[in-house]
Amino acid sequence: MPKLTVEPGDVTVDLLDDETILEGLYRNGFAYRIGCRRGGCAICKVDLLQGEVIYNRPVADNVLTESEQTEGTCLTCRAVAVTDVRIALREDNLRRVSSLMSLYAATRTG
Amino acid sequence: MAVMRMGYMHVRVTDLAEAKDHYANTVGLYQTLEQDGRVYYKGWDEWDHHSVVIEEGGVGYVKCGFKCEKPEDVSDIETKAIAYGYPVVRMVAGENPEVGDGIRVTLPTGHQIEFYSQMTAWGLEVGTHNPDAFPRHMVGIGAPRLDHALLWVDDVAGIEKFFMDCVGMWATERVQTSLDDDAHTIATWLTIGESNHDIALLEAPENKIHHFAFEMRGWNDILHAADIFSMDDVPIDIGPTRHGITRGTTIYFFDPAGNRNETFSGGYRCFRDRPTVVWTPDQLGKAIFYHSRELNDRFLTVAT
Ligand code: FES
Ligand SMILES: [Fe+2]
Repeated sequence: MPKLTVEPGDVTVDLLDDETILEGLYRNGFAYRIGCRRGGCAICKVDLLQGEVIYNRPVADNVLTESEQTEGTCLTCRAVAVTDVRIALREDNLRRVSSLMSLYAATRTG
Repeated sequence: MAVMRMGYMHVRVTDLAEAKDHYANTVGLYQTLEQDGRVYYKGWDEWDHHSVVIEEGGVGYVKCGFKCEKPEDVSDIETKAIAYGYPVVRMVAGENPEVGDGIRVTLPTGHQIEFYSQMTAWGLEVGTHNPDAFPRHMVGIGAPRLDHALLWVDDVAGIEKFFMDCVGMWATERVQTSLDDDAHTIATWLTIGESNHDIALLEAPENKIHHFAFEMRGWNDILHAADIFSMDDVPIDIGPTRHGITRGTTIYFFDPAGNRNETFSGGYRCFRDRPTVVWTPDQLGKAIFYHSRELNDRFLTVAT
């Protein structure tokens, strides 16, 4: 189970295997600026500071270019962490929308 | 009246299989052709061969087409578009499968707009002889027909003038910087017939597509569509709600590639002598989302 740490705020959540970073944060009761959730609009980009992600579904190269990928841009609605990762939101803050979901996120099995 | 309606919208999708599932099983369109990595669809209440084309690879706008009544109408637009200074090329029958001769105009934004007057007839799903009110086995939300699109453009006034002077449209509603005559136009809703809009333009830093919309049969069907979207895990951007602009009821949602779709219903009938409605930026929240009265952080930032 990879750990995800988000800046600013240094918030850490556990990600399920095969879960995207976006899905993991929302499952843990957090929100941030996102759009289509389907890899099309590029609004959910963040900086990948540490760790490794993969894209297990196609991503349009005009949304996330190869050079962006090598320079550490991560499209959070499609990126799946394969190691522990640390990301930094761009001109945005993580908002906790449900402390209950944060509290009980770990009890989910699926 | 030269142009009758928006005839087709053609977009790119990153994963063809997922997009096919969306447009056929969730939106409920009927597939009429699959060829060269493109899939063609029509709604049940449409009679032409297709109104939506999806193409594998990437995301976003490829082009859209407006259907004219007669070939002479296409020639007329060709003459006017050339005089207006926009690049125009002729397209021959078959260049788009099942579509006749026509022209392709490239807007300064790069958006390609096609005009044609013939498309292979397919027929209404309910037929035209003593028809029933809707198909007995509708799929998904059962979208009857393509309605309109909203494009992101960097020069609303210039492109609005093209659609008015060369295509014969007029503005039913506008968002402008003030109520003064010399105000700057931020967005415009343009119609050719009696519907609220066939195309809308919104000022933006990039030239993209904001959404394309299907006309539904009323608020009940909009609510039903939202239920289907939850069942099919379709990301909803906003709604069901109402737009202040056009008074239409709506849901914005995303296809599996991230293209924004809309279900739209209602609005008022528009006659050419109807005065244009004007909105000012301080009321933009109410203008776009009449109930929440505030813009979400996606309306002005998310497009493909
Ligand atoms: S939310 Fe649109 S690309 Fe991620
Ligand atoms: Fe719309």
